[in-house]
Amino acid sequence: MITIGLPSKGRMKDEASAILARAGLPVAAVGNDRSYRGRVEGREDIEIAFLSASEISREIGNGTVDFGVTGEDLVREGMAEADARVEFCARLGFGHADVVVAVPEIWLDVDTMADLGDVAADFRARHGRRLTIATKYWRLTQQFFSGNHGIQLYRIVESLGATEGAPASGSADIIVDITSTGSTLAANHLKILTDGVILRSQACLVRARKPEHEGDPAVAEIIERVRRVA
Amino acid sequence: MPLTGLPPFAAGLVADFERLGAERVDTPVIQPAEPFLDMAGEDLRRRIFMTESETGKSLCLRPEFTIPVCMRHIETAAGTPKRYAYLGEVFRQRRDGANEFYQAGIEDLGDPDVARADARAIHDACLALSGCLPGVELSVTLGDQSVFEAVVAACGLPGGWQKRLVHAFGNQSRLARLIDDLSSPGPSGVFGPEVDRLAILGKLDDEAKLVAHIEETMAATGYSSDTGRSPVEIARRLREKIELSNTRLGGDTLGPLAEFLALETGLAEAPAALAAFAARSGLALDGALGRFGRRVDALVAAGVDPAGIRYRAAFGRPLDYYTGLVFEIAPAGVSSVLAGGGRFDRLMTLLGARERIPAVGFSLWLDRIEAVKGASA
Repeated sequence: MITIGLPSKGRMKDEASAILARAGLPVAAVGNDRSYRGRVEGREDIEIAFLSASEISREIGNGTVDFGVTGEDLVREGMAEADARVEFCARLGFGHADVVVAVPEIWLDVDTMADLGDVAADFRARHGRRLTIATKYWRLTQQFFSGNHGIQLYRIVESLGATEGAPASGSADIIVDITSTGSTLAANHLKILTDGVILRSQACLVRARKPEHEGDPAVAEIIERVRRVA
Repeated sequence: MPLTGLPPFAAGLVADFERLGAERVDTPVIQPAEPFLDMAGEDLRRRIFMTESETGKSLCLRPEFTIPVCMRHIETAAGTPKRYAYLGEVFRQRRDGANEFYQAGIEDLGDPDVARADARAIHDACLALSGCLPGVELSVTLGDQSVFEAVVAACGLPGGWQKRLVHAFGNQSRLARLIDDLSSPGPSGVFGPEVDRLAILGKLDDEAKLVAHIEETMAATGYSSDTGRSPVEIARRLREKIELSNTRLGGDTLGPLAEFLALETGLAEAPAALAAFAARSGLALDGALGRFGRRVDALVAAGVDPAGIRYRAAFGRPLDYYTGLVFEIAPAGVSSVLAGGGRFDRLMTLLGARERIPAVGFSLWLDRIEAVKGASA
């Protein structure tokens, strides 16, 4: 039996179902519309689990579902070494969101990560504390700042909502957050650094890398069908 | 199942530390996480074991001893100079090796004689290691951030570039990228459209005008200027950045930098090699080289043979509280580091000490020592 995790509500649910329908795998709820289980018509070998987007990324990580439709940002944030543990089989063309580094517009001297590195290096000496970043993307932030740009000296302030407001309210200096149009950032007088796009994320068909998938024709078929219509 | 008991040579180490006159201290295993994250950066978060108290305070299992020992010193308001010895378990998430293992070491706080204290740290680390590993030949690698800082300063680079280079010291690839940037032709630096607009309006030429403009914009957009970066700070760095973007360096500046970073020699030969480098490149390094030479003399006086020490000019640690000496000790011909140490004159004040306290110390990896013992037995 192959389990596919799909978003349980909203536009993500509709778009994911539409893709699967185009791929010849029409999804139907088991029982009523609110049910958290589903099936693919005519396919006894596939079951559907309706989950929240972040649950999907977690369940793919532990391998409790075989496939999932969820944002690349959630997968990469949710697990270390994502590419070794999951396969991004297809990019589905919806759920676009960029994970970006944004600073106050008034920081006229900061337009690149190198500028930010300079500011971070001096921050403690000037302000008696490290530069703070409001974000819910701990892992992506660390990888990008430390791994790609050699910036170590900052602190993350966890932010689970209204992250864009943190710099103006003084609860953090800068943010790492998702944006699709940039209008929320602009409304909060924030600008994206020119080399500050951490990830261009969209909804993906993601497969847990499990040994039993090797040579399973149904697994290969699902990937092939979705790729053809994505 | 990794062994978690004290290694058999621990008792000998404790006795060595006592003979060396260091005061044995212990610190709680459960520590506030903030100081570690503040000092080493967020990257450490993935490598330590964190939890939260019922009141939401971040706690962690002791990932190392230097910070707890230094904080204990500040809290107990002990006078200086003071030498503390420790031996105990530390906890880190590691890819290779166990997540809990023993470290031992000495932190030497407040000795104003920097050369003597540096030499003593290397001497004590070598002595402790030899005691654990009789008959194993050890090789010491030594670096010195203050010499690099002196070279960068003497090269006549603008202040902003000096800071960048010094900050990257110890991180080879980052340093190489920066030097590349410096030598690439054409102006560097990216400026937003607002800066262009201000340039046309003539608001960049005068710092006071620029500060006023930033202040007004902050007030209009609801950015309080008292918690974060101030208008003056932004204005000054913007003007500095404009100046930096027009700085291109030719081979006569970058040549000596590259030559210096490639320098590697026995410590006994290092003072002469550095002096020759300074003369060749025409750089005034007298202060830094004097301090370097005095440390070599102090090592000899402490009974350490400089022939067993290699000086590598590019060797450093990219942490902002390391200020001078760094060293590592490994078995000769093997890359496994058994002891690491260095000078961290900035750490005590960062941790809240009221006055500046010079500090140097080292730490021994008892699990790695045990592995070497096992292999050579």
